[in-house]
Amino acid sequence: MHLIFFKVAAIFYLISSVIYVTFLLRSKGTRCLSGFWFVIGGFLAHTISIVHLFIAQGFLPMATAFDALSLFAWLVVAIFTVLQFRDPNPVLGAMAAPIAAVLMLTASTFSYQITQPIVPVLRSWWLPIHVSFALAGNAVFTIMAMAGAMYIFQERLIKRKKIGRFHRILPSLETLDTLNRRALPIGFFFLTLGIISGALWASSAWGSYWNWDPKETWSLITWFAYAAMVHQRLALGWRGKKAAMLALVGFVLVMFTFVGVSLLFSGHHSFVGGSMRTPLI
Amino acid sequence: MIPIVHDFLVLGINHNTAPVLIREKVTFPGNQDGAVTRLVAQAEDILECIIVSTCNRAEIIVVTNDPDLSAENLIELVSKIHELDVESIRPYFYIKKGKEAVRHVFRVTSSLDSMVLGEPQIVGQVKEAFKRDAAANATGPLLNRLMHRAFFTAKRVRTETGVALAAVSIAYVAVELAKKILGELEQRQALLIGAGEMAELTARHLASNVKRPIKIINRTLENACVLAAEFDGSAESMEQLYDALADADVVISSTGSCDPIIRFREMKTVMHRRRHKPIFMIDIAIPRDIEPEVNDLDGVYLYNIDDLRAVVEENIGERRAEAEKADKIVDQEVGKFINWTKSLEWAPTIVALKERFEEIRANEISKMNGKFGSLDETEREAIDILTKAIINKIAHGPISFMKQSIKTTRRDQHVDFVQRVFGLDTFVSETESEEVKTSDYETDYRN
Repeated sequence: MHLIFFKVAAIFYLISSVIYVTFLLRSKGTRCLSGFWFVIGGFLAHTISIVHLFIAQGFLPMATAFDALSLFAWLVVAIFTVLQFRDPNPVLGAMAAPIAAVLMLTASTFSYQITQPIVPVLRSWWLPIHVSFALAGNAVFTIMAMAGAMYIFQERLIKRKKIGRFHRILPSLETLDTLNRRALPIGFFFLTLGIISGALWASSAWGSYWNWDPKETWSLITWFAYAAMVHQRLALGWRGKKAAMLALVGFVLVMFTFVGVSLLFSGHHSFVGGSMRTPLI
Repeated sequence: MIPIVHDFLVLGINHNTAPVLIREKVTFPGNQDGAVTRLVAQAEDILECIIVSTCNRAEIIVVTNDPDLSAENLIELVSKIHELDVESIRPYFYIKKGKEAVRHVFRVTSSLDSMVLGEPQIVGQVKEAFKRDAAANATGPLLNRLMHRAFFTAKRVRTETGVALAAVSIAYVAVELAKKILGELEQRQALLIGAGEMAELTARHLASNVKRPIKIINRTLENACVLAAEFDGSAESMEQLYDALADADVVISSTGSCDPIIRFREMKTVMHRRRHKPIFMIDIAIPRDIEPEVNDLDGVYLYNIDDLRAVVEENIGERRAEAEKADKIVDQEVGKFINWTKSLEWAPTIVALKERFEEIRANEISKMNGKFGSLDETEREAIDILTKAIINKIAHGPISFMKQSIKTTRRDQHVDFVQRVFGLDTFVSETESEEVKTSDYETDYRN
């Protein structure tokens, strides 16, 4: 049942991606309402699918790679939707919708079912807390990176005096920089809580806070990168293009920690033989 | 059947057909309350009238029984109103009839006939004229419908094409760019260096968007003070230039200096002082006031007059391409409207009315069929005859009402009325909803 809604959501995200991208390439308007409605439709179906899985399983669906990717997509779309209501913009849609669609399609390659008995470590209240914080941080940093990409593009157009259609539909530099400034501490806050909750969970599960498994190490590297960014912004007053570049660099780190580490290394976060077939968290 | 007696007619002058000298004479003085329109509407053969008068055009839009005769009468009337010689103004007027008149009204309202293609004020002006003349009882069902369709068309053109999107004056482009860089301008600091017509125009346009008083710097403090008084700003001396730059968000520079007054090296220090907070600099002076290399600094966006002009040119070109798309929309809407006027005949309306009643009757009978199970054939027949008699009696009233109207000149009004009362007009619902929505036209346009 929840899988039907999941598929509907994935298809809706895909359709809206196509609509948004064709809109950018062909239309002359400034708003792409049809694309947005498909995102909203997908978001509702997505929400139903997650809630349904929660009720069916009796615990928050966060144990598998499927769950992680699906929840990640859901958070990205949620933040995007809030931003759209404040300032509708087709360019952000043309980035958020495809990202959500790709995440959903990747998720669908994993099984949502927990075939083997779940490892005791995962039967803990720390699981939803840790995963929610980590993914919320990721989602915020994703949107921040999109704003960063838009900033760099818009800045280039203005500097080079190339005033075309894109220039007109992109938000102002100030808007994008404000988004960066506001998102940075929020994302950093979530990331920090994600790491702390992970450490507390590790302590209750294995008796030690920190075990230097690859996921932990790379999370720490990511954390330092964003801590440096917060410092540059607040203390040194970095803004604009530099801040936008950093948002992109940070995003690469986030993505590597999220996906790359799981594929390349093994550690506490890959519960081989446990419930996670290809764990991402 | 009597042939169609009403037709649309537009008589007008605009920036293409008449020089300013003529245009400024034909302005319909004293029409603030629609008195002149009413006078025209009372002329022989004329049923409805609207007069639109702006600085670039004057249009008399009428519904008439005899377009040719009315055109002649109207020109004479215009010359009488403005105390001009008929022959001296005749060559400047264009006359459009029927479908062409409809298309012309749609194009004018959609700003496709404007001097600056796509400029947004015209919809508001036409709407004002329509409101005024409707309040003066000079309009009727045909013009009311025509104008609502015109506003609907204008809205389609605005939302579906990019005709109204691009800014086409240098001052406007400068402000748009400032908004793209700095977001909302309200709390921004503007700085004007030097003076000059272009600079002052741009500064004025900017001042209407900025709440903080503009700073003005001039080589002679007195001149700066004079300008400052005019702008409600504050004057500063040339020595304070770099302090002012560190504080400003938008700079317009236009001095008569032979050498650049803002150099790369100094600007770099300024940017450091302002922690690379973005600054938009407009260099209107020739020779340049600001070294072009300044644009390479992080956070500095430097545009000179040629850059701005290039943006304007590009925007104008873009608008032209979009106008073709807009004309297609106008064609569609003209076609729809002409179809509607054709439906305003009593014979097809009677057929439609009878069909509607029969449809209702048949529907109700079929709904009751289950309960008729116990009835025999003759009883069913009796019910059929009874219900048919009822709808025929009901239809009699509106049909004779329309037939009587043949004798009057306003039979379209009667037919229109019947169509609306019995919901025969599929066009109505769309138009009615538009009627409510037209009120957001003024607010929608930013200019």
